[in-house]
Amino acid sequence: MSLREKKKFVIFCLMYTGLIFWTSYSLELANKEGLEGLGTSSFLVALVVSLGLTMLYAWLIVSKNRRVWATFKCIGYTNSNISSLILGQIIFTTLMGFIIVIEVLFHYTAFTTYWLAAQGGGASAEVLIGLIPVVITSATFLVIQIIGFMIMRGKITKVRPMIALKKVGE
Amino acid sequence: MSQRDVMIEAIDVNKEYRRAGAIIRALIDINLQIKSGQFIIISGPTGCGKSTLLNVLSGLDLPDSGKIIFDGENIARATEDRLAKIRRQKVGFVFQDFNLVSSLTAIENVEALLWPTVLRSREIEDRAIAALRDVNMLERKDHFPVEMSGGEKQRVALARAIIHRPRVILADEPTGNLDPESETQVMDLLKKINKEVDTTIIVVTHRERLSSYADMTIKMSKGAIVSK
Repeated sequence: MSLREKKKFVIFCLMYTGLIFWTSYSLELANKEGLEGLGTSSFLVALVVSLGLTMLYAWLIVSKNRRVWATFKCIGYTNSNISSLILGQIIFTTLMGFIIVIEVLFHYTAFTTYWLAAQGGGASAEVLIGLIPVVITSATFLVIQIIGFMIMRGKITKVRPMIALKKVGE
Repeated sequence: MSQRDVMIEAIDVNKEYRRAGAIIRALIDINLQIKSGQFIIISGPTGCGKSTLLNVLSGLDLPDSGKIIFDGENIARATEDRLAKIRRQKVGFVFQDFNLVSSLTAIENVEALLWPTVLRSREIEDRAIAALRDVNMLERKDHFPVEMSGGEKQRVALARAIIHRPRVILADEPTGNLDPESETQVMDLLKKINKEVDTTIIVVTHRERLSSYADMTIKMSKGAIVSK
């Protein structure tokens, strides 16, 4: 369902990509500079932004599709079933962001290695962000997705199935 | 008549709404017995309480007082999860506005009802194909709702309503947005399902001419049943 809502999916996927990149880079900096450096505060800001973004995404998915969720409740979906669908959409979008970040970092390293080799110098790989900060960031993001979603979950239970029976425009 | 023959029974059902400070009595002392395999039409003018009656009979809304015995179980005080389970297992819904998910194809819309079940995706697909074949929409299975006419959308909605082989199909103004030809197609399909699978059908409509399809027509006025 995420992929079918192309506009929303692309926008949020790109935002998550940017956030994962920002957070991973901050974590890499914090690792190099120590906990007092700029990287730590930047990392924390990125996490708070990500929590807000998840809540916004969950709110949009629930609010813009109230009639769909009401119809699903009519045909027998429980609140848990609908929660699973929405959480699945959010996590899928985040995972896509994670894959894009890995892809970009991979190509960055491949390109710089090729560039240095082509210049005639020794071809040593330049890694912009290590794998560990990216993995830690993505794992932290998944936890934040769940927390953000749990905060917004009440909106799903408030969707009454009778909305589906109302005529459009009523 | 044995208890098993009764599919839905409403006993002394009352329902009130508060709107703009006023109390509206939507259902007044409703007593009703619907037998298994019957084709029922509930008719009456706008605001007479027929949709409210459909809501309480299906467990979408709870009555203020009285009992709703659905297939032998009083659902008037059931939990939300229990009601959802009953609807998923025993009830099929058909809406006036079709309520198909615009981002899903016809077959995905039909399959959606069975997604939360333990059935394997292959079986869900087979059942969806069978349901679409029953309503003569198999050739449009990969089309999105925006590519279909009103009658075709309603037939897909009907396939979604029968995929889990429900005991009861509840239809709220199912032909309200259809032209006369599509109306006949949809009503004929409902009648066919009623006859061939012995499914109980309850249709809410304000169109008097549809009464010819029914075994029993219930007329409502101001929240009460005025004739059966």
